[in-house]
Amino acid sequence: MPRRSSFVAETAAVFLKDWRTELRTRYALNAVALFAVTTLVVVSLGLGPLGAVGGDRASILPVLLWLILLFAASAGLPRSFAHEEETHTATALRLAARPVAVFCGKLLYSLTLILAIEALVAPLFAAMLQLPVESPGRLVAALAVGGYGLAAASTLVAAIVAQARGKGALFAVLAFPVLIPVLLLAMAATRAAVGGGAEDGALLQALLYDASVTVGGLMLFPPIWNP
Amino acid sequence: MRRSFGRLQVLDGVSARVETGGVLLVRGQNGSGKSTLLRCLAGLLRPQAGTIEHREEGRALDAEERRLAIGYVAPDLALYEDLTVQENLEFFARLRGLPRERAAEILERIALPPHRPTGALSSGMRQRLRWGWALLHRPAVLLLDEPFQNLDRDGEALARTLLAEHLRDGLAVVATPVPLDFADLAHAETLELRR
Repeated sequence: MPRRSSFVAETAAVFLKDWRTELRTRYALNAVALFAVTTLVVVSLGLGPLGAVGGDRASILPVLLWLILLFAASAGLPRSFAHEEETHTATALRLAARPVAVFCGKLLYSLTLILAIEALVAPLFAAMLQLPVESPGRLVAALAVGGYGLAAASTLVAAIVAQARGKGALFAVLAFPVLIPVLLLAMAATRAAVGGGAEDGALLQALLYDASVTVGGLMLFPPIWNP
Repeated sequence: MRRSFGRLQVLDGVSARVETGGVLLVRGQNGSGKSTLLRCLAGLLRPQAGTIEHREEGRALDAEERRLAIGYVAPDLALYEDLTVQENLEFFARLRGLPRERAAEILERIALPPHRPTGALSSGMRQRLRWGWALLHRPAVLLLDEPFQNLDRDGEALARTLLAEHLRDGLAVVATPVPLDFADLAHAETLELRR
């Protein structure tokens, strides 16, 4: 009987391979960092500490933060599957790895990329726009849970559009409606962290969204990957 | 088996059987469906009618077991250009649950510079790498689509040796538009496809 690797080993191999190639080419990292920093500078120059005053700051700034993170992620995440199809490496990956391991490996890559973006953007955002953070722990939790939701949904949509033409536009059309719930929840959780107000279960709901998208991805990805 | 793409019927009523140690030579003009047949056998395309069965020890393998038992060489199969030859083989060895030593063993057989980026390989070297990749996990079934394309004399001799070694315990399906006069294929069954 043919030999097979463990699910964890396959997932880890895909994850490490994606990061190895990314660190060599820096295609996604450069695109995402450039987009994030540019948008951040524009927002801070346009709004800055003089723009949003008083109580508005705690309401408006979390929204802007998540919009910056969303568009920065969109600059880099769709590429993970599209690149495999364009360079014809997807065939080798389909034959060598089980679909669920490919999905989980790519999801882990997307998640770590988003966490890296957040680690870059969030402190800069807080400093440049003088974002008051009443609860750093809650802010980190909001970034983590919201970031996971972005990663999971984006990974699944990226897999769907990878084999289509017009991937860039199609990704936006498909991903943004799916991402709206987790973005709104992440914004609410972030607002509670900066303003200190009631969170009203936004973090828990975001966790439920994350779990749903993960389960949905695990079920939908195999037939998408092997049509 | 039947397979079409939209209104274009590519495979229609194709039927064959191959036993261990045997070779099925798939011949036909360009566009007759040779590559499509091999892609169906590899599980990369689904036939719209008919079945593909791989039996070992009297039992039909499921789709996942079939995937693990297949080695595939094809012109449109590529490995990661930003990884070196060695890194590519080690990555796929890891995916297949194989030790690094197996990747080193294959690397020695195909005689490629281990630290050269795959993107910097010539077309003939890439074909050698495809052979190495296909045989990494000692598959039971080797699907070869134009397997001698771009190979120089030494490369072709290597490929024939690898094929002969494989046929001791496995079987092969070889798609080619040109006649092959290898002794290994002298007793091959032939399947002729027409457009």
